[in-house]
Amino acid sequence: MRYAYFPGCSLSSSASDYDLSLKAVCRALDIELVEVRDWVCCGASSAHATSHLLSVAMPVLSLSHAEEDGFDRLIAPCLACQLRLKAANKEMQEDPEVRERIHRAFDYQYRATVRVYHPLEVMMEEGMMEVIRSRVRKKLSGLKVACYYGCVLTRPPKIAQFDICEDPQSMDSIIRALGGEPLDWSYKTECCGVSMTLTRSDIVLKLSNDILREAKEVGAHAIAVCCPLCQANLDARQIQIEDRYRVQYGIPIIYFTQLMGLAFGAFSKELGLEKLITSPRGALEICGLM
Amino acid sequence: MEVKLTEDRGRLAERLQGITGENVMLCYQCKKCTLGCPSAYAMKMKPHELMRALQLGLEDPVLWSGTMWICLSCETCNTRCPQDINILKLIDGLRTYYLNRDYYNPVRELPMMHRLFLKLVRRFGRIYELGLVFILNLKMVDPLKDTDMAMPMFLRGKLKFFPHRSEGAKELRKVMSRLEAMEEER
Repeated sequence: MRYAYFPGCSLSSSASDYDLSLKAVCRALDIELVEVRDWVCCGASSAHATSHLLSVAMPVLSLSHAEEDGFDRLIAPCLACQLRLKAANKEMQEDPEVRERIHRAFDYQYRATVRVYHPLEVMMEEGMMEVIRSRVRKKLSGLKVACYYGCVLTRPPKIAQFDICEDPQSMDSIIRALGGEPLDWSYKTECCGVSMTLTRSDIVLKLSNDILREAKEVGAHAIAVCCPLCQANLDARQIQIEDRYRVQYGIPIIYFTQLMGLAFGAFSKELGLEKLITSPRGALEICGLM
Repeated sequence: MEVKLTEDRGRLAERLQGITGENVMLCYQCKKCTLGCPSAYAMKMKPHELMRALQLGLEDPVLWSGTMWICLSCETCNTRCPQDINILKLIDGLRTYYLNRDYYNPVRELPMMHRLFLKLVRRFGRIYELGLVFILNLKMVDPLKDTDMAMPMFLRGKLKFFPHRSEGAKELRKVMSRLEAMEEER
């Protein structure tokens, strides 16, 4: 299957490990990714706080490039990007006034035919789970994983239309298919606060601490994530959190694609594992992967 | 707090409905929004209080609370509202309306961040993380903020020193100027 690929700003810098591992996993699953021509930033939280039209226009620019190049499916691995892209599609399909004004601003008239997928949605497509199971070479036996889905994978349900809104299961089922043990916990979709990470770090530290504490309490060896922003908050800020709240976590924050890649037998370098700040070594030794 | 209800009290709600299409009058104060809000603890005016204040047209208290900027845009309130009010859309309406107003704002760094973010994106087409952090820290008079977080990322090649440029930046600038012209027309 061929998809247009919208990496988003994070995956080309602070989340290069997510980019590497996603590409490795897609290769293993016979999914072809073609980077969207001259894509631009989705605008994330700044555009929709500035101008409603701009928040539609920025995603439409990249989506229209994909449409022009003949794609009808697009993968966006960052939660913020995939929500902005999906929301823009919905506005273009349902709001004639917005559509008219966006068309006036662009030379190419976007018809909203490109469907946006988060990688987890692709993994949940029919028949994919069997393919995933068939690719597993090394099981994640004994690895207890808290799957953290972040804020906007399933919210708002009207736009996301994916998984169970308050208690998603897709990543859990992947971890199970890899032979790991997904844990039941209550912070799966709590917000990590990333939109204020540069301005009000105090709020971010509190929210991320809540998530780490809960994961520790249920006995997680690792937290699996599916968003570059959650990962940066929980991983790179973990030292600050430990310092501020006088606790010791040392929980590695691993992309679910990295765990898939490991189970498929890829080398840790191909998956960017050495880029994780909290070392995953201890956790991976439990299941004999390191 | 005593509020005299006059006719022009309803104007704020009307104006917001004009911008966002959402009707604040539907709120019956069940507090589900506040109970699920991850940043409510840091708000002087909680989400359900914001809804009541909007119904009563209390513009100044709404602005001075800073609630619209403390919201993390996590979409929890929208998802849970039994009246199906898109609270985030209302908050975004407030943000766009008051983005450049010189009202007292207790969290001025938030609109500042949004402006800077878009300025950088307009220039490069993509976000220049290191540049954003650096300029923002200078503006907040806290130049060394988060260096303990940035260093390990930098050493692992996770923060690029130079900005990525997108070939799409030119098209983006054209679209942005056209949108601005359209918004001025209104």
